[in-house]
Amino acid sequence: MIRLALALAKAGGLVVVFAAVLGGMALVTGTGVLVDSAFRAQPPLRLSGADVLVSARQSIPLKEEPDIALPERARIPGSLVASASEVPGVAAVAGDLAFPAAVGSGTAGRTADPATAGHGWSSLALSGRITAGRAPRAADEIAVRGARVGDRLRLTAAGTPGTYRVSAVVDAPGVYFTDAVATALAARTAGRAGTVDLVAVRAAPGVSPETLAARLKAGLGDGYEYATGRDRADAESPGAAAGRGLLLVLPSSIGGISLLVVGFVVGGGLALSVNRQRRDLALLRAAGATPRQVRRLVAVQAAAAALPAVPFGAALGYFLAARFGELLAGIGLVRADQPLVYGPLPAVAAALLLLAVTRVAAWAGSLRVSRMPVVSGLPEPRTPSPGRTRAGLLLMLAALGLSVTPLAVRSEAGMIGPGIASIVAVIGLALAGPRLVQGVARALAGSRLMTRLPGPLWLAVHNSHGYALRTAGAVAALGMVVTLGLSVVLTQTTMAKARSDEVALGLRGLVTITAPGLGGVPRDLLADVRSRTEAAGMAMTTVVTEPMLTGDDPGLMARPAMALGPDAEGLVDLDLADGRLSGLKGAAVAVEEGLGRVGRSMDVIMGDGARVRARVAATYRRGLGFGPIVVSRDLAAAHTTTGLDSAVLARPADFGDLARRPGLRFDSRAAGPQAAMASAQTLVNVAVLAVLLGYVLVAVANRLVATTTARREEFAGLRAIGLTRRQLRRVVRWEALLVGAAASVSGLVLSAVPLVLLSVGFLARPLPAGPLWLVPASILAVMTIVSLAMELPARKIMT
Amino acid sequence: MRPGIEAVVTLERVSKTYGDVVALDDVSLAFPRGRFVAVMGPSGSGKSTLLQAAAALEPPTSGEITICGVEVTRMSETRRTEWRRKHLGYVFQSYNLLPTVTVEDNVTLPLRMAGVRPDRAWLGQLIDRMGLRDRMRHLPTELSGGQQQRAAIVRALAARPDVVFADEPTGALDLRSAAHVLDLLRELVDDLGQTVVMVTHDPAAAARAHDTVVMADGRVLDVLPAPTAEDLAVRLARLSGERVA
Repeated sequence: MIRLALALAKAGGLVVVFAAVLGGMALVTGTGVLVDSAFRAQPPLRLSGADVLVSARQSIPLKEEPDIALPERARIPGSLVASASEVPGVAAVAGDLAFPAAVGSGTAGRTADPATAGHGWSSLALSGRITAGRAPRAADEIAVRGARVGDRLRLTAAGTPGTYRVSAVVDAPGVYFTDAVATALAARTAGRAGTVDLVAVRAAPGVSPETLAARLKAGLGDGYEYATGRDRADAESPGAAAGRGLLLVLPSSIGGISLLVVGFVVGGGLALSVNRQRRDLALLRAAGATPRQVRRLVAVQAAAAALPAVPFGAALGYFLAARFGELLAGIGLVRADQPLVYGPLPAVAAALLLLAVTRVAAWAGSLRVSRMPVVSGLPEPRTPSPGRTRAGLLLMLAALGLSVTPLAVRSEAGMIGPGIASIVAVIGLALAGPRLVQGVARALAGSRLMTRLPGPLWLAVHNSHGYALRTAGAVAALGMVVTLGLSVVLTQTTMAKARSDEVALGLRGLVTITAPGLGGVPRDLLADVRSRTEAAGMAMTTVVTEPMLTGDDPGLMARPAMALGPDAEGLVDLDLADGRLSGLKGAAVAVEEGLGRVGRSMDVIMGDGARVRARVAATYRRGLGFGPIVVSRDLAAAHTTTGLDSAVLARPADFGDLARRPGLRFDSRAAGPQAAMASAQTLVNVAVLAVLLGYVLVAVANRLVATTTARREEFAGLRAIGLTRRQLRRVVRWEALLVGAAASVSGLVLSAVPLVLLSVGFLARPLPAGPLWLVPASILAVMTIVSLAMELPARKIMT
Repeated sequence: MRPGIEAVVTLERVSKTYGDVVALDDVSLAFPRGRFVAVMGPSGSGKSTLLQAAAALEPPTSGEITICGVEVTRMSETRRTEWRRKHLGYVFQSYNLLPTVTVEDNVTLPLRMAGVRPDRAWLGQLIDRMGLRDRMRHLPTELSGGQQQRAAIVRALAARPDVVFADEPTGALDLRSAAHVLDLLRELVDDLGQTVVMVTHDPAAAARAHDTVVMADGRVLDVLPAPTAEDLAVRLARLSGERVA
């Protein structure tokens, strides 16, 4: 059976299956590695000497979705330290604090995140050892790594600059102050007196971490998290946990789409392969093979093509995952110190999935041919039904309708229409493609110009008409590549431009002063700047709200938010619809017009999980750039890890010696809260899209190669009636050009309509913002791939 | 060949082997102008290979082929195709019409590819003779087998070639259509002075020709002038018998 199956197999179709499985393995393995890493990665742990870390709950549990991770530190009572030390089996306890600390220059005390680099001396007992000197005793003494005892370092700690003497050198990252100083620095923020970030506990010999965690829970209560093992890293840095959640969410959406695409591509390849051996299979049936046997034969062929692709695809998948991990780290979506885990599980799972997909595709692909009556011989290729064409045209029309939304709705919601429009249009193209290609080719073939064309072009046009069904699939798939590529990228860049335009308008005439290396803007800076010019403090944080915009998660959703104080009145122009920014005091928020009324109150969950009932102080129109919600600085200060401002917004002035202060950065342009999230999303979307579209391109190229290779007899016939090889090559070249042109034109038209309407709606001009060179580039890519995939094999089979 | 009659195509010691199989074994033969010649033999006798070699479709392993006075085996592929296009017409068993274009476009396709303006009067005469006047705007699939083969004959003759090669032209036709096509081929030679070389395994078809070349095992056994179908049938039966014995 196997030998017969392999003897009958036609290489062309099976090469398509091989390539499809290869690419599918790579995609599924790659995303699998990310998911696997999200579960198993072991980020570096500072408090590595602690067996159990007690912390506040840093997530909001949801019923059916992954929990929402809270990136801002929630504190726990300092009294827990004493309670924990009384639990049996505890060997050592430390109340851990983390606050911004940044050494002015050099690598001393350097950590991944300056916002949480400062700690009290007692934390060192569970994070490292002293290698030289003695513990800091005086208020101006510190212990760091990478300095010498006796060095004097300029330091910004919890937003306060000062000079400190190194009394000890340690082997752990971070800057260690005396416990008294650390408590004072950490408690500078309102409402934090008497709290700690974590309670770090070491177990006595013979007590397992799990046992200890259970005892602690019994002793301290249910309201806290008791992290052991790998979970300790999440307890230690809640921001990283939030990032890792993304590792889980992203690939699951990508993985779903790619599995779908893989299914289609594998199915297409098998259909092609079955189609090419229809005659042989019909003969087998005539010779007495049962339909079951024919299906089994096709399944054996499919397996023979799919199995060799598995190891190569898996290798490619691990490679892709590494690149994708770098990309995510590069844009700050996951921390660079969070390594990916390369286990065998993703490859095994991918192999099982892909082989199952292949098996199903083989069964579906051979169903028709295996069941045909023995006498009928060759089944006619199906012609597309008029219903299918009509449905396709309707979908394309619907896409046009959807793309009008930006003209009416100028907010984030307005972008959804065009986004869906391009996908709907692509499906429409796939349905109506064969008839459309046929119609266009018929119009071309029937035109008066035809008689004047040179022979090869004349024949190419007629072939494109007569064999429209042969190439329509390729045209539709390539058109999809052009449409999706252009519309996804340019929609995002256009929206990014619209957002940054709004932010620029809102912050017009202001200078932004930030201190990225210090973990937050120093406390004295705002007053200092105010002594010279008008200025306002601004912070960035995360809030969790009920859905606010169309397209939000139906449950709770975390989103970045800007925090402003009453001093922003007259400086920051949110284009207020009602109320005043001067009301942003205490528990107050401003929301986008239509999401709330001034004077009413609304419930907000802050980034540390605190539930706040806030008063709406103002409503504004520039929601596109500034997001749907702006919280008061007072709220942000009480519920962020650092409690510091992210930036000072000031009218330009002579900043004098400020301009030379180390660690400060002056910018004349500022980014809104939406920009960071959106640009990260754009990059991820584009990267994923690029991989998927690349896969589709390879699959299409493969199909074209297979269809061209199947034209051996046709070419021989043409040669026999007098075409020279050159002319035959030219015929194929013209055909390739026609296919490429049809794909490019349909792709351009389908993407242009939504993009132009989007640009008119959001930028008040027809041209979208962003890399417009993508247009010629995508056309060039399509043309090149079609030419190569048709001309090279044509050359090979010409006799 | 009778002296004084010009040969359109000459084969000189032509051999063709496929691996170990000898399809043509040192064949020398000349096809005279203005004659209808049939090449007959049992299957595997090398008659189709002979036709393909004589029509310069496939170069022989050794030997020389002269078409209209020019030796073609050493020509470049492109030159040979152009020479063939100018001097030869070809009729296939499976018609070899392009399904995507009309009969009219099919008929003029070689001319179009050669960049030659069709001779409308000549074409009209051929179309009328083949009875295809009202069929020219149809697609080949809308024609009967006989009509398709007649269209292929028009195409082969459209460029006024010196010789038309026909490879089992009636092999796919029913008896009536086959007889009609054979009559038309004979008339082309008798009325219009064309030259036709036809490969067939059917004695009745071969009997319509002026001369019949009988082949077996890659060699020419005999050239019979105006044989009857009965003679040829006996001859063929004996050949098959010898091969079995």
